[in-house]
Amino acid sequence: MPIRVHLDRVLLERRMSLTELADRVGVTIANLSILKTGKARAIRFSTLDALCRELGCQPGDIVTFEPGPPDDPDGGED
Amino acid sequence: MRALGPGSVSSLLKIILDVVYVALWIVAGAVLIGFIASGVLVANPDLLKGAITINGEVTELSQRGPSVMGAIAAGGLYVGGVLIIVGRLRRIFATLIAGDPFQPDNVRRLRVIGVMLALLELSRYVVAGLFAWLAPGVNKADAGVSLTAWFAVLVVFVLAEVFREGARLRREAELTI
Repeated sequence: MPIRVHLDRVLLERRMSLTELADRVGVTIANLSILKTGKARAIRFSTLDALCRELGCQPGDIVTFEPGPPDDPDGGED
Repeated sequence: MRALGPGSVSSLLKIILDVVYVALWIVAGAVLIGFIASGVLVANPDLLKGAITINGEVTELSQRGPSVMGAIAAGGLYVGGVLIIVGRLRRIFATLIAGDPFQPDNVRRLRVIGVMLALLELSRYVVAGLFAWLAPGVNKADAGVSLTAWFAVLVVFVLAEVFREGARLRREAELTI
């Protein structure tokens, strides 16, 4: 997907674990892992809001756009 | 009354389907026994001598035997088709009771049901045609095209697509963080 997630990099810069972030934003570790590994298909504004608030960053620090072919709408992981 | 989940209309329908499923297996067993018995009697018509006679003539059985076996086999195939449909319906209703109707497996199950409904309807035409060919005077079967049956087939296929879209949306929701 042309949208890249850089949650792992932001977490490393903040020296914060995924578990701690999950506790702070109220999202399960499993869902954060899906987001971190780039498997997520969408992200809610409320989740993005909580992530930016807890990580002290902008949405652009977490997700960026890299030109490339779009994903198959039905997903390739099934 | 709720439509989905435990204690809902779905669970009531699932119980009915379970009963019908068991009854169909019993009928299928009876048909199989009847088929085997008729095969044995056709092969050895002498077995009936001294026991029972059909229209007073044992030899008539050997003449009608193959057609009787064919009718039983056709009945068995019909019961098998209905068994497959009810079996798939049971599994679909199990997912409804679990409150998770949009499982990808339900798409395949609905397609199987649609195909089986179409095959059963086609088999009705074949059987009616055979009866008309073998016994023109005796044929009472309705060989007319049933619009209701084909409408049901199309509805089931459309429902399968609806469930496929539902499964896709469920997948999307699962991967929305």
